[in-house]
Amino acid sequence: MAIRRLVLLTCMAALASCGDPKFKQYYVQGEQLYVRHCSNCHQKDGKGLGLLYPPLDESDFMAKNFEATLCVMRNGLKGEVVVNGKSFNQPMPGVRSLTDLEIAEIATYIYNTGSHKRGLITVTEAEKVMKDCAQ
Amino acid sequence: MVRLSTVLVLSGALVLSCQVKQQPLPIFGEREVMKGDTVYHRIASFQFVDQDSSMVTNETFKGKIYVADFFFTSCRTICPIMKTQMVKVYQHFEDDSDVLLLSHTIDPEYDTVALLHDYAGRLGASSTKWHFVTGVKDSIYKIAQTSYFATALEDNSEPDGFIHSGAFLLIDKDGRIRGKYDGTVPAAVDQLIKDIDRLKKEYGD
Repeated sequence: MAIRRLVLLTCMAALASCGDPKFKQYYVQGEQLYVRHCSNCHQKDGKGLGLLYPPLDESDFMAKNFEATLCVMRNGLKGEVVVNGKSFNQPMPGVRSLTDLEIAEIATYIYNTGSHKRGLITVTEAEKVMKDCAQ
Repeated sequence: MVRLSTVLVLSGALVLSCQVKQQPLPIFGEREVMKGDTVYHRIASFQFVDQDSSMVTNETFKGKIYVADFFFTSCRTICPIMKTQMVKVYQHFEDDSDVLLLSHTIDPEYDTVALLHDYAGRLGASSTKWHFVTGVKDSIYKIAQTSYFATALEDNSEPDGFIHSGAFLLIDKDGRIRGKYDGTVPAAVDQLIKDIDRLKKEYGD
């Protein structure tokens, strides 16, 4: 609880949109979805596990591949992926049932936690990205 | 009228005497009394192959305390949590040569030695400390169910294709089960770590 408040405060200091109730709503919902769907591999603290599951809290892959990151939430990912200079190669199952809104919420959470400070990712933005996913 | 100082001395003595003698861990499974001796349930003979293609048998663990579990690399549900927790145990006892780990795959068709080698390496596991074994599927299932009392079954209706328990079994230096812990619950694994220390004390370590 305290960490979440600290993140929100830091975010608010960094970006005007963060104090906004919509951001808070997306962030909190996103965190719940993350814990349910993502944390058993990526861990609650986003640090991943060894060279099996990549970290999310600090990830150059996430920073450089915004669209791809959103797409893999629903579509999964097979094959090698290099994160922070380390090679990962476990297939990631997608969560087919995620709606565009849920993807926007999870994205808002992961992109505003750890080293990321992207601000709100709206459902409109997520919809646009998801339309163009490779699969 | 009892003096306060007397009460304090007596309770202090009680507390001290409680701490000096620790209860031994239970011994799981059936027991028989044969010719006056109690014979406890022991892990049956096994022969598997680990991530280095080395043969692993009961001899590998003779005189050692070890933790056993059952998993498979393509498991998406409970195994990631189990492995995170097992890494915790591994790191805690990394420099203790008395404690070993034994992870059995219940999907030997997919989890080849090469795949287990890669998987174990990615977890940072040294193969002489944490054995990831494969072998004859029936042998693995049989030992899971009848020796370790851990569920392991193929089941196509399950999301990953297998029913298996996330149990971590604590085995003593004589091949007896001394504890069963839910490997998906961090507090249970913390207890396992404490119990390993207790078990070592029972052997005078």
